[in-house]
Amino acid sequence: MEPLSLSRAEILAVLPAGFLFITGLIQLLSDLGDTSKNSRHEKTHLAMIGATGALVAFASLFVQGTLASTGELYAGAMTDDLFGRLGAGVIIVTSLFVTLMSGGYLSSSGNNKAEFHSLINFSAGAMVLLCQATNLVSIFVAIETLSLAVYVLAGFYKENKSASEGAFKYFIMGAFSSGFLLFGMALVYGLSGGSLSLSGIAASGASSDALFAVGVLLVLIGFAFKVGVVPFHSWVPDVYQGAPVLAVGWMAVAVKSASFFALCRFLYHSGGGAYLDQILVALSVVTMILGNLAALNQQSLKRMLAYSGIAHSGYLMIPVLVALSGNDLSIGASLPFYLCAYAATTLAAFGVLTALSVSTDRDNIGDLNGLAKSRPMLALGFTIALISLAGIPLTAGFIGKLMIFSDAIGAGFIQIAIIGILTSLVSVYYYLRPVVAMWFRDPRSSFDLIPAPWGVQFTVGVCGIATIFVGLFPDWLVELSRISVETILG
Amino acid sequence: MIPELESFNLPILSLVTLTPAFGALLLALIDSNSKALIRQVALMVSFLGLLFSLIMVGNFDSSVGVMQLEENHSWIESLGISYHLGVDGFSILLILLTSFTMPFVFMSTWKAVDHRVKEFHIALLLLQTGMIGAFVALDLVLFYLFYEAMLVPMYLIIGIWGGKDRVYAALKFFIYTMVGSLFMFLAILYLYNHAGTFDLPLLLERLKTTHPLDGIQQFWLFLAFALSFAIKVPLFPLHTWLPDAHVQAPTAGSVVLAGVLLKMGTYGLLRFAIPLFPDAAMDLREEFCWLAVTGIIFGACMALVQTDIKKLIAYSSVSHLGFVVLACFMTDVESLTGAILQMVNHGLSTGMLFLMIGIIYERRHTRELADYGGLASVVPVYSVFFIIAVLSSIGLPGLNGFVGEFLILFGVFRADPLWGMLAATGVVLGALYMLKMVKAFLFGPVVHEVNKEVKDLNMREIIYLSPFVVLMVWLGLYPSSFTNLVEPTLSLYVQLLQN
Repeated sequence: MEPLSLSRAEILAVLPAGFLFITGLIQLLSDLGDTSKNSRHEKTHLAMIGATGALVAFASLFVQGTLASTGELYAGAMTDDLFGRLGAGVIIVTSLFVTLMSGGYLSSSGNNKAEFHSLINFSAGAMVLLCQATNLVSIFVAIETLSLAVYVLAGFYKENKSASEGAFKYFIMGAFSSGFLLFGMALVYGLSGGSLSLSGIAASGASSDALFAVGVLLVLIGFAFKVGVVPFHSWVPDVYQGAPVLAVGWMAVAVKSASFFALCRFLYHSGGGAYLDQILVALSVVTMILGNLAALNQQSLKRMLAYSGIAHSGYLMIPVLVALSGNDLSIGASLPFYLCAYAATTLAAFGVLTALSVSTDRDNIGDLNGLAKSRPMLALGFTIALISLAGIPLTAGFIGKLMIFSDAIGAGFIQIAIIGILTSLVSVYYYLRPVVAMWFRDPRSSFDLIPAPWGVQFTVGVCGIATIFVGLFPDWLVELSRISVETILG
Repeated sequence: MIPELESFNLPILSLVTLTPAFGALLLALIDSNSKALIRQVALMVSFLGLLFSLIMVGNFDSSVGVMQLEENHSWIESLGISYHLGVDGFSILLILLTSFTMPFVFMSTWKAVDHRVKEFHIALLLLQTGMIGAFVALDLVLFYLFYEAMLVPMYLIIGIWGGKDRVYAALKFFIYTMVGSLFMFLAILYLYNHAGTFDLPLLLERLKTTHPLDGIQQFWLFLAFALSFAIKVPLFPLHTWLPDAHVQAPTAGSVVLAGVLLKMGTYGLLRFAIPLFPDAAMDLREEFCWLAVTGIIFGACMALVQTDIKKLIAYSSVSHLGFVVLACFMTDVESLTGAILQMVNHGLSTGMLFLMIGIIYERRHTRELADYGGLASVVPVYSVFFIIAVLSSIGLPGLNGFVGEFLILFGVFRADPLWGMLAATGVVLGALYMLKMVKAFLFGPVVHEVNKEVKDLNMREIIYLSPFVVLMVWLGLYPSSFTNLVEPTLSLYVQLLQN
């Protein structure tokens, strides 16, 4: 047997994911030694371990100093290009904030167990690998690993029936979508002459084959389940409503980002034959319209954000479509940018939801009434997040929409841009409803919000500021996205 | 004397634009309970803004019509967005109007707004930055940013400090404006992909030479821009948000809305929509002129039957701005000068009327005409000021309104006597509804006992109303000191249109 030998690049490539996995393990072990066993304690040490691990993992992204692609590592299973590292960065930063928020949130309902913290880190590690994965097997393994962790997170409140229901639904639908994914991969593998690696698939020139296109479509459907693209979105609202807020935030930001990064990498390599364009157009249009319309009438904030998340998946399909149709990957740069902007914005929004559920355990829009009086800073943070989601200027969300629609028009997809604009208009209405409740209405009852946990305050503050900052000075992030997309094909 | 900027290299337009925003930041640091301090700081900041804009006028060379005091820095390089500011005859009076109005708006709210004082002043200052920024921006995205940035503070001002149906009115205002501006946004992106720049002067150049648009493109792009501005003006039949917004907004909100915000629409037509797409604008000229004339008469008729004073003034705005839109589509210097003067005049007269309605509302808490009558004998000083504002709005010779209306009607008659005649009926109707309102409001016997107790203007109120009167008389008697600033730019613009 060959002795195991790893190159320096190979070691560096797995460092971020490795640190995250190790952090998760340490969190589990540290709880074993904890004698108090009280799930109502905040257990600050778990957050500290998690934060340290996330920071170390984040720092390790910068160790490999060059921006150029390192080529294939681990016999083509993964790569360490800038695109992957940008995705990893989004995920690690998200995990940092979720970690900081979870102690205060879980302890308030007496569920603060180390498992939650370590599952976040385990799934984060898998997501980082997913962003870097460059062959079918490693993509599938990474997806399954992260999904298993997230299934458990979704059903973390064991006593809560709707949480269990949501988690079960998520599990069934997830297993179903894995089936699609695997079947699609099998077709792609077979028709590309037995190539597992994405570059091999790209080189095989099989994309003109009709059955190959079916394979790509099935893989696309597998991912569409994960990111909630209509018509594969039906699990999203139920799972969002039942699951713990933080698990939802984690799904909304990290799972979606990782899936989009991987989908992007896959599609850029595979191409998809003549019909892929039309299918992507249809998916994107239907998702934008249905997501935004369904969000209009939601009373529950979680459900509203679930549908708004679906709608944003629709917007995110546009850059994929534009890049594929024009064979010009550089204009797909709006995808990583939009995901970064979306991450900051959505984290701020879920931070506020966390604060709300810590003190009231409710999430109706009416429960926000008068928040601007009792908690002006939280209200401000939420307002920033909402106007950024709506794409109103001076926020990161605006620049994201600007890039997406501009690229769409540049590639000749004016109809899609018009539909996108119209649906954003619809979205303004429902994003304003919480704003109205917070600023214009008086508190309905006399309940006094207990102070938000420090981790939540920190997250809302930092993410709110980041949203505005990127809205004002987006240049560096745009450039980074542009370079990163160019590294996909090496 | 006014300092010469060349030697200092002072970015005066940035100062005029961003001073209020920095003031808002400063306010954010003050404890929200020290209301007096907040009011003083906001007032000082707005006076500082006025000072800077006076310095700007002092450094403005009125002998040439080109862009002046330009500042051009690349901002978001990767997306081709620049921080490009400049001022010319189109914008200079409007900037001046904005920075002139704001300090007096702040003075007027000392008593009227007593809850969430800090947020209120922050919103007003941010609004000021948005308005001036939109007037000076020469990059399409930058303009769009400022244009939208006005929306959120105004929305909050109506929604938090407004009247009974404030939430409805605020939402209606927001959605209406958003509809228009999103289509404009799309058109801006289209232009960028067509000509490769967001920079207005560069874009005008390229559209004329290297990247011409064909007829269909011009048509749709013009419609997208014009829709956004027509909603803002508001042009009939897109005006329905205005009465609601005006009636529900607090006094300060109404003053800013009528005084400045509505001008964003007509300014946008003159600065962007017509010069960028001149062929489409000339093709659609008749349709727009008919809408404007309809608006003039419809607004006046609606104003005739209103019983709520604020609503009456709101409809009179629809009518008055119809004149401005009509003039925007003319191609002679006279009517265009009239258009710009009329924007300023309307800002002054309607702004002052709203301030005065706010004053009486503070005392009596009603705006129904039927609740008043005979005030002239109770509050003589108030009545004098009110009548001056009304006469200015009607267009009495010697006051500002006359000059603008005369110039517009002069130009319109030359273009098409029918439009001229119809528009002139608007002037007659204007006198009718205004004088009817004055009669019911100020004259006749005092019907209601409570009205005998109403206090006359106090010193603070006289101080912030007087500058309006001074300007009205100044503009009425000596308009050339203002039109001189405008005319060189306009003759340049007319030349361009006729080529």
